[in-house]
Amino acid sequence: MKYFIKTAASITHQNSFDQENLWKNLTPLSEEHSLQAPDYKVYISPASLRRLSPVLRMGIALAKQCQARIKEEIDAISVGTALGCLADTEKFLVNILTATSDTLSPTAFIQSTHNTIAGQISLELGNHSYNMTHTQNALSFEMALIDAMLCYGDGKQATLVGAADEAIEFLKILQPFVIQDQFPLTSGATLFVLGEKEHTGVCFVDCALMLQNENMEDIIFRFLQKNQLSDHDIDCAFYAGIKTTLNFRESIEFLQYTGLYYSASAFATHMAHDWLIKQGKKYALVINNVCGNQVGLTLLARE
Amino acid sequence: MNVYVTGCGVVSSIGLNVDEMYRALLAQKTGIKQGLNDFSTRFKVGEIDLTNQGLIDRFHLRTNGSRTSLLGMAAAKEAFDGHLLSNEIKTGLISGTSVGGMDVSEKEYHNFLKREKHDVSKYKDHPSGTTTEQIAMELGINDFVNTISTACSSAANAIMMGARMLKSGRLDRVVVGGTDSLTKFTISGFRSLMIFDEEWCRPFDETRKGLNLGEGAGFIVLETERSMQISGSSPMARLTGWSNASDAYHQTASSPDGAGAVLSMKQALAVAGLEPNQIDYINAHGTATPNNDLSESTAIKRIFGETPPPFSSTKSYTGHTLAASGGIEAVIAILSLQNGVLFPNLNHQTPIAETGLIPVKNVVLGQSIKHVLSNSFGFGGNNSTIILSAVE
Repeated sequence: MKYFIKTAASITHQNSFDQENLWKNLTPLSEEHSLQAPDYKVYISPASLRRLSPVLRMGIALAKQCQARIKEEIDAISVGTALGCLADTEKFLVNILTATSDTLSPTAFIQSTHNTIAGQISLELGNHSYNMTHTQNALSFEMALIDAMLCYGDGKQATLVGAADEAIEFLKILQPFVIQDQFPLTSGATLFVLGEKEHTGVCFVDCALMLQNENMEDIIFRFLQKNQLSDHDIDCAFYAGIKTTLNFRESIEFLQYTGLYYSASAFATHMAHDWLIKQGKKYALVINNVCGNQVGLTLLARE
Repeated sequence: MNVYVTGCGVVSSIGLNVDEMYRALLAQKTGIKQGLNDFSTRFKVGEIDLTNQGLIDRFHLRTNGSRTSLLGMAAAKEAFDGHLLSNEIKTGLISGTSVGGMDVSEKEYHNFLKREKHDVSKYKDHPSGTTTEQIAMELGINDFVNTISTACSSAANAIMMGARMLKSGRLDRVVVGGTDSLTKFTISGFRSLMIFDEEWCRPFDETRKGLNLGEGAGFIVLETERSMQISGSSPMARLTGWSNASDAYHQTASSPDGAGAVLSMKQALAVAGLEPNQIDYINAHGTATPNNDLSESTAIKRIFGETPPPFSSTKSYTGHTLAASGGIEAVIAILSLQNGVLFPNLNHQTPIAETGLIPVKNVVLGQSIKHVLSNSFGFGGNNSTIILSAVE
């Protein structure tokens, strides 16, 4: 089955917001970089803006942009996040662990649950549809995507799907023991709309998650075989975590562009989408092995 | 395609397995009492009387992890007991949790703030996804491992996601449910919202003030017919309906007209192909907050009319176990189907003035119960309904 993409939008440390094709501006992250946030006032009221953390701002702005770009009303929402609303979680932790009085402001707690991102999207859009939040470490985006594929299969016409994560200073303390330090810690969010009408010509073909209990090449090869393809058919592989010796026509390590956040494969998928269009090529594969023990494989095709 | 339930497991303050919980439900014995931990001692909570080491010993756990993980392992192991892993049956685990390993991180982060010995390796247990990976490791499941985090509707959504994975043919069998441990983080959070009752909670009562928190885990095993032919499992119930909808009203409060709840119940009935009058029992979300119970009552009346089927909130026994509640309550729904029994809503005296609905107040035996509807509503206006039905 083909799951067509109607639109894609990202806010990252790249100049990615509202770009017709990401590849006009993409460069590997240099020493100096920061989140390239849009003017949020265009999307969010000043009163809301004050209390919203970066991950919530990114989610709402992207969702509004996606909704504005399509004719249909979004009829399902599936968001992945690896670590959720870290800024508000930390803020509330500090509040409760240092509080001297018995009364606490609930705002940070209210906004700390993982599904605040998707929940705020439903609130800001006034959207009553299916609303799901998946959190599976580095495979959170792929989980959200599989759910979106199920929605598509159920006949949904405009499924909003993607992932968002935010970095906080505290994460640096966890390097390199809990979090790898090969790439800079970054924040980022990407949302797609899936639907069969008025699409970009690029579709998801398959998404699979494997426990890496065997040779990586074998895992990828079997996945491609299931889709009647071989490694030679892949015009570009966007990979992270492991470089394979398979014969892809081209391959790009994506963390050098995204920086490290655990749902960065969502932006890599947006990169792959735009790459296929810009290069006029057929197949791209996103190989997400950011967490060593598991691998996510996402196959995209341009029709 | 039918989705069958072939196993269930539970740990909560009213029992460390399904049998213990069933006996407590019949005896109308609540698990809510004064807390045992420094962060819970001032409050009435549904806490489990075992330390983490106690849980490991009691349930012979091989995998270590956060308390949320350990509770999940205990319940998931009971649910999966007797189910053999097989290459022919693609088996997954989908678990819901709201705060994952927060019980570990809040202690370690406190050390960090106090500039005491700070062991960063502890945070490995923090991510919600990791709690599910640890439960999967304990069960030996590795075909598909996913975590849903939609606050208090997490387990119901995990059950729903499992059913959809079976229907789409991506999995043959899936262990679904949720787990959450009590933490200082959540107790402080609900207190900051001022929806915390310092006395025993009174769902659907005019004098209700708020919720009591609890901890626990509840899991069920879903299988397709094909999977059951290979596994030889026998069905104890069917999962016939499911739905999730957004209230899109407020980040924490439910809409006065129960818009999201009406949508989720209506759509779940449509998935099950049932009319409202075919529902024999509603296990309500019923947190005992002024806002939820009024909104849910209004929604129930909008779907079922002036005389809805018997309903109750069993959170008066377990406390609100957050992400686990949909899993624990799915097991309660199955007990209701299997035994033809309606479980009461403890501590109820006066109906809510606006709706006048009276929940089940005593154990009612000898009922013919074919379809049970179970609601779970979460922060962010996340409304979910599942329907469990008797095996035909």
